[in-house]
Parts: sequence; structure tokens; C-alpha cells
Amino acid sequence: MPRPGAVIEVDRNTPPALFHFGEGVRLEKLPLGARIVYPPDPLEPIAHPERAIKRALARPLEDDPLKALLRRGMKLTIAFDDLSLPLPPMAAPDVRQLVMEEVIDMAVEVGIEDLHIIAALGLHRRMTEDELRHIVGDRIFSTFYPDRLYQHDGEDPENNVYVGKTAHGEEVTLNRRAAESDLVIYVNLTLVPMDGGHKSMSTGLASYRGIRAHHNVKTLLGSRSYMNPPDSALHHSCIRQGQLIEDTVRVFHIETTVNNHAFPAIANFMQKRETDWTAQDQAMFLATKQMTDLAPPAFKRNVFHAMRAPYGLTAVHAGQVDAVHDKTLDAVNRQIAVHVEGQTDIVTIGVPYLGPYNVNAPMNPVLVLCMGAGYLFNFYRNKPVLRKGGVLILTHPCRYEFDAVQHPSYIDFYDEVLADTKDPAEIEQKYELRFAEDPWFRQLYRKSHAYHGAHPFYALYWAAHAMDHAGDIIVVGGDREVVHHLGLKCATTLEDALEMAEQTVGRYPSVTHLRTPPIMLCEVD
Amino acid sequence: MPWYSAGPLTGPAGAARQALDDVMRVRRGWRWNAPRPHTWPEQGAVVPAPPSDLGWARVEPVRSVRWLIQRLLLMPFTEAMVHPKVEGRGWVRELKRPAIFAANHSSHADTSLILYSLTDEARDRTVVAAAADYWFKHPVLGNIVSLFLNTFPFSRTGGAQGQLHSSSELLKSGWNLVLFPEGSRSPDGRIQEFKPGVGFLAKETGTPVVPVHIQGAFQVMPRHQRLPLPGPVRVRMGKPMSPASKEGTREFTARVEKAVRTLATKPEQPDVQGTWIERWRASKPRELRYGDGG
Repeated sequence: MPRPGAVIEVDRNTPPALFHFGEGVRLEKLPLGARIVYPPDPLEPIAHPERAIKRALARPLEDDPLKALLRRGMKLTIAFDDLSLPLPPMAAPDVRQLVMEEVIDMAVEVGIEDLHIIAALGLHRRMTEDELRHIVGDRIFSTFYPDRLYQHDGEDPENNVYVGKTAHGEEVTLNRRAAESDLVIYVNLTLVPMDGGHKSMSTGLASYRGIRAHHNVKTLLGSRSYMNPPDSALHHSCIRQGQLIEDTVRVFHIETTVNNHAFPAIANFMQKRETDWTAQDQAMFLATKQMTDLAPPAFKRNVFHAMRAPYGLTAVHAGQVDAVHDKTLDAVNRQIAVHVEGQTDIVTIGVPYLGPYNVNAPMNPVLVLCMGAGYLFNFYRNKPVLRKGGVLILTHPCRYEFDAVQHPSYIDFYDEVLADTKDPAEIEQKYELRFAEDPWFRQLYRKSHAYHGAHPFYALYWAAHAMDHAGDIIVVGGDREVVHHLGLKCATTLEDALEMAEQTVGRYPSVTHLRTPPIMLCEVD
Repeated sequence: MPWYSAGPLTGPAGAARQALDDVMRVRRGWRWNAPRPHTWPEQGAVVPAPPSDLGWARVEPVRSVRWLIQRLLLMPFTEAMVHPKVEGRGWVRELKRPAIFAANHSSHADTSLILYSLTDEARDRTVVAAAADYWFKHPVLGNIVSLFLNTFPFSRTGGAQGQLHSSSELLKSGWNLVLFPEGSRSPDGRIQEFKPGVGFLAKETGTPVVPVHIQGAFQVMPRHQRLPLPGPVRVRMGKPMSPASKEGTREFTARVEKAVRTLATKPEQPDVQGTWIERWRASKPRELRYGDGG
């Protein structure tokens, strides 16, 4: 039986805590009385994933068995989540591949000829052939690519259709192929509660016009947090859009969840609690630390990004979207929920090398902000672990480095927009549309492997809630100039950062360290 | 005591130089392949110590080091040089227990190609049988090769029961085994007769054998060539085979050999022909068949 998550109090015998530090790691001694929150241990994976998938397709929730929905001569489309999930990328075979192979076998049995497979990118970058092959597997790739397996293009005027407007005035658009299909099968992988459900279709296969309805400052500030769908304005909006889509096209949802076994054996020490470390884990930490201290960033990046997570499938459900997603959220929460009592004055988080938007690329400063103050801060239910006006301390080298292929719009955003103002609402009003409609960014999104021109804005909006909630955000070990450019404070060591934080929250503050990744969701009383 | 104060790096730098000097002295002091000087006394006739099976290469942290070496050096190099086309990897993915990968052998590149063709999970649990009288003649070379490829010494001369026993122990403890049943590299690229060791191991341990055919490796790095040349290579894996209950060792070995030869002659997979349904059906691993009883 895997252990549940835990909160421990630091005493004299507590070993130092691991902090992720971009493409590196640190061990830091936390002050006596501080709390460390650990995620639950990985749940036991399902022993026979193929059987579980077959069972889910044969006995779906509030829907007919998939076989009954398929008929010869129909127009069938399979859509699946892109490489922003899971993180790190999953060791082959990806569960999406297993699900799709099962679905395709059924389609072959029935004799469906008109079958397309679409990567539901939304406004994310196009994947390379190797990345696509990794997700779908050799067999699907060699059979379908490139004419029947391709990636959604949210800026293609020919291949996106306007579906309508919700009662709240949100515009809804959809990929033309999906909209004109007799049946769309959406294959999802839910790692965190934010993913899946109606959000899959309403963002994955939408255009900028549809996505901007909920990816905006007002909606994200109204999401407390967007990792908890019932309290998330973002999800409410997605549900309204999704319902309109379900009225337009028949969708069969297949959602999978994996455990939080995020690191391979070589990086076991990142997965384990420090109190469980063996001499071998200590040695691996030392080796990793020396390597990451000495090696040039590009080398470290190659090593870290080569890691594949040995995730195990924990649940697979199929059928009607709401029924499926409820079950999926239960499974996700079973894996990542940790009970935490009360808020604290200071929260410390180590920002790792990888977020959803920098797979095979450096984490640029805007994404550091998005990851630390956006995603990691928002992993809570009820209320944040950090009290209102408290100090959030992140550790990351936060260098001025951008991937010119993946993040061209981020460079202009950082240099031009953030130099002018740091206020998300003002940025949205003054700059977003110009970037979104920039023909060069549009061209790079469509033909190269670049994120959409509006994407850096969304990265900032994710962090808007934390920036509004926290009194200060301090980045330990960051490049001073870069950190100040983001509107944050910089410290050289954690001790310095805690001293600086006392200026804001007063003497003898309470401190909580969130030991993540692996991912966890703090249920705060 | 010197009048100057030592810098912070003086101590560690001195220690590192000393360690390096020691290593170089040892490295230069023993020459494993030089003839024995006539002034040295003859070695007595003793029972040779049982050969090491290089257990150190299969424990942590050596496995982690090898993981890094393979991911950062070996796999990218193999990919860059020959860009191997791998067919039948699905069989490896479906393996639920250790297996023997029995391949034809025409080049030193074969081992890297097979490791490249395995799934990540299978590769991390795979040992390679390397000729004891070739690779382990020089202990330093043997150990380095073990570090890179997880090899262990496999005797190809007579009296190999002991070696077969250590191989079966590895299989029983959960390791996959890469074996070249021909015994040595083919002189002309053609498949030679298989030796019965593979059948013996499969029978003794009940381990399935995955036939593997490597095409093109001979052109990349034939015998007597020291450096590889770029060229197209195809690695094709077949359905795992298990010996029938009444099948003898030699019969089973012959069946494995036949399977490898069938993989060599099988026409190209129809991956660019027909409708997607036909391609999908054709690429289904379970539909590959070779010869009788396979």
C-alpha cells in the first residue's frame, strides 16, 4: 500500500530538503519548525493496461460501448493530447498509444476507411516527427503519418469552423475535420486536475478566437485555483464551450490517468523523501550536483530532457464527458492530494527544469514565472498554502535564455512588453492582440515549431493570481537583472531570501516547503 | 612551513595530481599483451581461477553510469552513423519475462545495433555474451566494454558448461541475454551455422528466444576494419519462440537459425502500399510467421 502524502516538521534530525534548481538540484537546511510537504508515493499501476482499456471501451460510463458507435462508411476522427503532457514525457509505450491502437483495431474490424488522427495542440507548438512518433508509437506513425495523422492548426482559416456563442458570450471554434466527423474520439491523459473534461476539445481543437474566451486575466484571477475545477472560472468557461461542441458533434471521451512516478531509477533521489535516501541516493545526488554545477547548460539540458518517466496507468475511463471526467478527477486526486493544515507566511518551491511549454527547450524567464508562480503555486484546493500577502520563494537560475525556434514570441514579449509594464491587465489590453495577429509569429506557429504569438501572454496570466496574492516573490539563485525584469526580487541564498521575506511578513515567520515534483495538490484547511 | 599562505585549491589540486600520477604509473607498469620476460620464473601449473562474470557491471551505480553512456554516446552515435530501421520492436514490448535475443553476427556494430533496437526498459535489463577469448584477453579492455555494453565473458571453446550455467543464472535472475549463436563474426556477411548453446539455454531455463536479423552491418564494419562507415542498416525482430517439450536442443537451435534466415529473406514490410487498413493489418506483430512450428 503506497504511503499517502505527508507534512513533516523540521527538527534537528531532519535531513536537508531537496530543492529543484532548473537543470540542477540543491540541498537546503530549512529553519527549525518549518514544514515540508511531500506528495504521496506512486500508486500501484494497473497490471494489464490493455485489458483495462478494452474493458473501459466495452463498458463506458453513460454511453454505448464504442463498438456499437462505429459503423462502416462513417467519418471517424481520433484526437489526442500533445506532448505538454505528461511531464517528463512518458517512457514508451505512452498510454495514448495503447488506447489509440485499441480504437484503431476496432475501426479496422468494422471496416471504417475514413479515419483521421489529430494532435490537439491548441496554440502550442507543432511537435517534431520524433516527438509525435514517441506519443503514438511506431505502428500508428508508420501507418497514418503524414496524410491521416497530423497536427491541429489553430490559424488555418480553411480548417477551423465557427460553432457559435455560449450564453455568456464566449465564442466557440473547432477544427473543421472534427466538426464534420460523425464521431470524434478524444484520447486524453490527465496528469493534473486542470486537464481533461470539456477543456480537451474546447482548447485542444480550437483557434485563438475560441481560446481567448477563457485564457484571459479576468478568468484566471477568478480561478481559485485552476487546479480545482469546481472553483475555477477557467473550467466553467470551458464547460460552457464544451457543451456547445457536444451539441454540434458526437464525442466519445477516453481519459487516462497515471501515477506520479515521475523519475527513472537513475534519479530515484528526486522521487524519494530525503528521510528515505540510501547511501546510493546520496551518491547519485552528489554526482548529479557536481555534474550540474560544472557542466554547461546545453549539456545539462540534454541529459535532463532525455529522462523518460516510468509512469504507470492508474485508471482509464470512457464514455460521456462529465461522467468520465468525474471518475478521472477522483483517480488523480487519489494520487496527488495531500492534507495540509493552515496557511503559512512563506512558501518555498524548487522550480524544476521542465514545464508544459519547454519540452526539449530551455525554460525561459517568462516560463519560470509561469511554472513557479503559475502552476506550482496553484496546486491547492480551498485556499493557497501561502497566506495573503505572504512571500513565495522560488529557486531557479532564471537565466536570459530562449529557444528561438520554440519561443520566438517570448523573446519579444520579454524584451518589449515586460520592459514597459508588469501589470497583466494592462499587458493584455495593450499588447495581446498585436502579438496574436503578428503575421511572422503566425507563420512560425503554423509552419515551424513555435508557440503561438499569444502564448507568452497566457504564461504570464497563469501567474497573475500568485502575483496578486503574494506580498513578494523572491527567486533564489536567479540572474539579478532577469529576475528584476520580471518584477520579482532576487536573493543569492535561501537564508538571504528568508531574511528578505521577514521584511515583508515580520519576524519568526512560519515556513512551508513544497517538495514538488512529483506533483501534489495541497488540500488546505 | 612556507612563508606564503596556500591558496584554497592547492590541497585538492595536489591530491588530484597525485591520484593521476598513481593511475598513470599503474597503467604504464603492466603491459598485458607483452611477452613474458625470460628472467621471470615460469608460472606454476595451477587450476585456473573461475573466470569472473563481471558482476560489478550489473549493480548500481555502474548501471546508472552505463545508462548515461548509452543515452549520451552510444545511441546518438549509432543513430548518426547508420540510422537503423527497426522492425518488430512490438515483440520486445510484449515480453513479460527475460528473453534471449539470438542474432546473426557479421560485425562489431551488431551489439550496438541490437541495444539500439530494444525498448528502453528492455535495454536496461540486457546483458551481452561476449567472446571470453577475444574481448577479455586484456582485462582493461574487457572491463571497459562491460561498462559500455554490459557484456560478460562467454566461452566459445570446449567445456562451456560452466559458462552456460552462469548465463542461465543471469536469465533466471531477470536479465535478457544477447547471444550470437554463430560464435564469431561472419567472414563474408553470410549467416553461418548456429551453435547449440542457444538451444541449451532456452531448454534449461524455459526462456523464449527472439530471433533477430541484422542487415547491412557487414558493410558498415566488416571484419578487420577498425572504424565504422555510415550506411543503411535494418534490424528485424521476430516472434519469440519457445522450445517444445519434446524438442531437443539441436532441433530447437536449428529452428531458431531457420527463423533468423527467414527474417533475412522476408520481403519488405508493405508499409508504403495499400490502404491504411491493409498497412495496419500488415504491421500487426502477431501476424509475422516463419517456417514450421514457429
